[in-house]
Amino acid sequence: MSALTFEAVRKTFGSNVALEGFDLDLQQGELVTLLGPSGCGKTTGLRIAAGFERADSGKILVEGADISKMPPHKRNMGMVFQSYSLFPNLTVTGNVEYGLRTRRLDKVERERRVAEVLELVQLTALGSRYAHQLSGGQQQRVALARALAVRPRVLLLDEPLSALDAKVRTTLRDEIRRIQTEVGITTLFVTHDQEEALAISDRICVMSNGHIEQLGTPTEVYRKPATAFVARFVGTMNVLPATISGATEANVNGTRIAIPAAKGMGKGSSISLLVRPEDLMLATDGLPGTVTSITFQGASTLVGVRLDVIDQLVSIDVGQGGADTLTLGDRVGVGVNGSNAVCEPTE
Amino acid sequence: MAAISSRIKAYLGRIGPSLVLLAAAVFFIAPILSTARAAFHKVPTILLDRHTWFKKWSLEGVRRAFDEEFFWPTLALSLKLALVTVLITMALLVPTALFVHLRLPKARALVEFLTVLPYVVPPIALVAGVAAFFRPNARWFLNSDFSLAPFYVVMAMPFTYRAIDAGIKAIDVRTLVDASRSLGGSWATTLRKALLPNMASSLLSSAFLTATVVLGEFTIASSLAKNTFATFSFEYFSRDAQGGVGLALLTLLATTALLGLMTVATRSKSRKAATVTRF
Amino acid sequence: MSNTVPNPIANGPVASRERRGWAWLGLLPFLAFLAIFLVLPTLGVIRKAFLDNNHSYTTKGFTDAISMEGAAFWNSLKISLITAFLGVIFGTTLAYAAATAKRPKWLRSLVSAFSGVAANMGGIILAFLFLTLLGRQGLGTKILTDNGWDPYKSWFSINDFSGVVLVYMYFQIPLMVLVTLPAIDGLKASWREASANLGGTTFTYWRRVGLPVLAPSMLGGFLLLFANAYSAYATAYALNTQSNLVPIKISFFLRGDVTGRSPAPFALATWMILFMAVSMGGYLVLRKRAERWQQSAAA
Repeated sequence: MSALTFEAVRKTFGSNVALEGFDLDLQQGELVTLLGPSGCGKTTGLRIAAGFERADSGKILVEGADISKMPPHKRNMGMVFQSYSLFPNLTVTGNVEYGLRTRRLDKVERERRVAEVLELVQLTALGSRYAHQLSGGQQQRVALARALAVRPRVLLLDEPLSALDAKVRTTLRDEIRRIQTEVGITTLFVTHDQEEALAISDRICVMSNGHIEQLGTPTEVYRKPATAFVARFVGTMNVLPATISGATEANVNGTRIAIPAAKGMGKGSSISLLVRPEDLMLATDGLPGTVTSITFQGASTLVGVRLDVIDQLVSIDVGQGGADTLTLGDRVGVGVNGSNAVCEPTE
Repeated sequence: MAAISSRIKAYLGRIGPSLVLLAAAVFFIAPILSTARAAFHKVPTILLDRHTWFKKWSLEGVRRAFDEEFFWPTLALSLKLALVTVLITMALLVPTALFVHLRLPKARALVEFLTVLPYVVPPIALVAGVAAFFRPNARWFLNSDFSLAPFYVVMAMPFTYRAIDAGIKAIDVRTLVDASRSLGGSWATTLRKALLPNMASSLLSSAFLTATVVLGEFTIASSLAKNTFATFSFEYFSRDAQGGVGLALLTLLATTALLGLMTVATRSKSRKAATVTRF
Repeated sequence: MSNTVPNPIANGPVASRERRGWAWLGLLPFLAFLAIFLVLPTLGVIRKAFLDNNHSYTTKGFTDAISMEGAAFWNSLKISLITAFLGVIFGTTLAYAAATAKRPKWLRSLVSAFSGVAANMGGIILAFLFLTLLGRQGLGTKILTDNGWDPYKSWFSINDFSGVVLVYMYFQIPLMVLVTLPAIDGLKASWREASANLGGTTFTYWRRVGLPVLAPSMLGGFLLLFANAYSAYATAYALNTQSNLVPIKISFFLRGDVTGRSPAPFALATWMILFMAVSMGGYLVLRKRAERWQQSAAA
């Protein structure tokens, strides 16, 4: 049964349309990420779910019940903000038990839950510290504990990692996913970082300008981007100027490449062919070019090649050891696997 | 029922701040309005009614003030005092602040503490201090009208030092000094061409602030029996209420104008980036 | 620290260690000036408070000051406490109203700027302003009387206690606004939202988070206002030259005593300095505390 539903939600701020025709269904226990650049409406969507903004039209349903008009303090959701959300005058314990006190739980029960949830985030020893004595990562873990202590139906996370250092970000993000699966709580996660989204989500909702570009699993979104926007936003893409030369064929300067059916684009129309680095390979009969860079990344190596005729720089993922015999300046051929390519019309 | 009371609460929440601001506006503007009326309206309050309200408005009260024998001399003295106080403040505090920043950072806490000390000794206590220390030991010093200046410097020090210090913090003093000196400039040139122009806005604002304080200062001036503009205003008011009030209004306008100038001066100057000017 | 690295350009080719000891000489003009015009006069006041008419040291001056000028002491304390308390209440309310008002946008800067002016306004000008409004011949007095209530026949008089309290509010409220606006800005919106999200009503938020966080600033503001009112001279004097307040008494004694022997004014002044030191000290400590919470630094 659906735990959280957005039904045709629309929200405008003055003349700016933040959300339009927003439909989303979260199943019990799944982690769905709203992913997109600033201004795409993801935070607005989250805040409408939390009750801090009221939708102009449409409904919010929790387990089938319409809560659209319910004030935020009655919704029983847990929320983690981007930064600075811990109450500075209360200790960690005081913060975590805040929601328990508003629900008037007795002291014994409060202490039990606080201990339980602090152990979940692995901060049991820091109960009597204050916010300013904690690092950024610790603060967010306390915020998470605080949100979970009340055993909410839905967990909302508003870019919780954006304000943290890169190293802390990766560790904490995995922590959050671990805790979320362990507790089994339905979670809505907002971020602009596609790497984060790919790493922890059950499903990703890619957004742009107030509407949904694609809703799918990380694999689907990465391997089969529905639109050029999604293709460019998630992961990296190589851009090859080409023309449509058939129903499932594109022509890149003479070389014919088989691609998925190009919707609504007639033969002869010029496009940008978006291809992932791992869909390019070194092939003797491929598009000729010169090696301009070799970047070792541990598990794989990226080879940068400047193609002769199109003067375009492409990045080829050659896997482990694929570049061992290459040096800068070498002449190579670039082969294209178009089976996952996305066509983007150009004017 | 609950919906209605929460709607009432929301309504109050929206108009509450406006009501507060309105009440505050009334409280703070009313005295100024009544002063303006008293200054320009030559009708005694008792006789005020619908008929007399619109008659006899003039600048006569203010003009009388200008004709007073001691108006110009005391104003001149106060202006000179303001100037002297500003000069002493600059000459004393700017080098000190620069010195602390460039050569003696360890002294920073001490100096900041010392500049806040005048808060603990309010003007009236300072007057007692003058009586305790200067009268027996250096009575000659108090004879000059300008003996007020150093005390004014002390009084204004918490504000002025903070403004100057903020101005120094806003520019990268170390780099400017090094750049200037490496180009061959002497300390004087460095000060004149590299540092002061970039500190102009904070120096100006502390100068205006000092001038405002000096022009309105009454406590020390009257205790030392000096004839400043403030002591003159007080004495004049007790003789001629309407003239005195006109004078008060003028002073208020002048002070506001000064502070307005200060805001404008600091806003436009802060846009210029700190640079070393050409030699 | 830049001092430890010899800078051949700025410092010249002199050993830096030798320089450091001499560096303190650079503060000499500043220290000398403060010594002459602040420290020594203050020490003089304190010393004279301990001397009685026979040039011997005693604490009698201090106790006499309280016993003989008890009324003035008490009045000054009352005025300071009342105006500080009222200033905190009205000032915080006004600051909150200005901080949360979204339209018009210039409103907050206006309140801030005006507070900057009004807080420093004091002196005789302020007294004149209120005399024209609520003095016996005041415009406000006339309006009230015409409409049924003569304040002077009731409990009010501009020259007395009630008048002084009212007039002092004119600079106490703005001073509180200046001190409190930054503190109110420091109340993060996310705290309010987090509280609601966890089930707290507006009341809950203010009781458990908002007011506790503002408390150091408000308490500090109270101390600041107390000190401000206690030491004010010119306004009270202009309203009533015979005011029974400590600053007026100090001035009265200094004027009357040509010999400068009586410890009375100096004892009173020393008490005042003591009050100021405690209040300002408390204020600075509380301000540091408030600032620490405002940062909530993420390491």
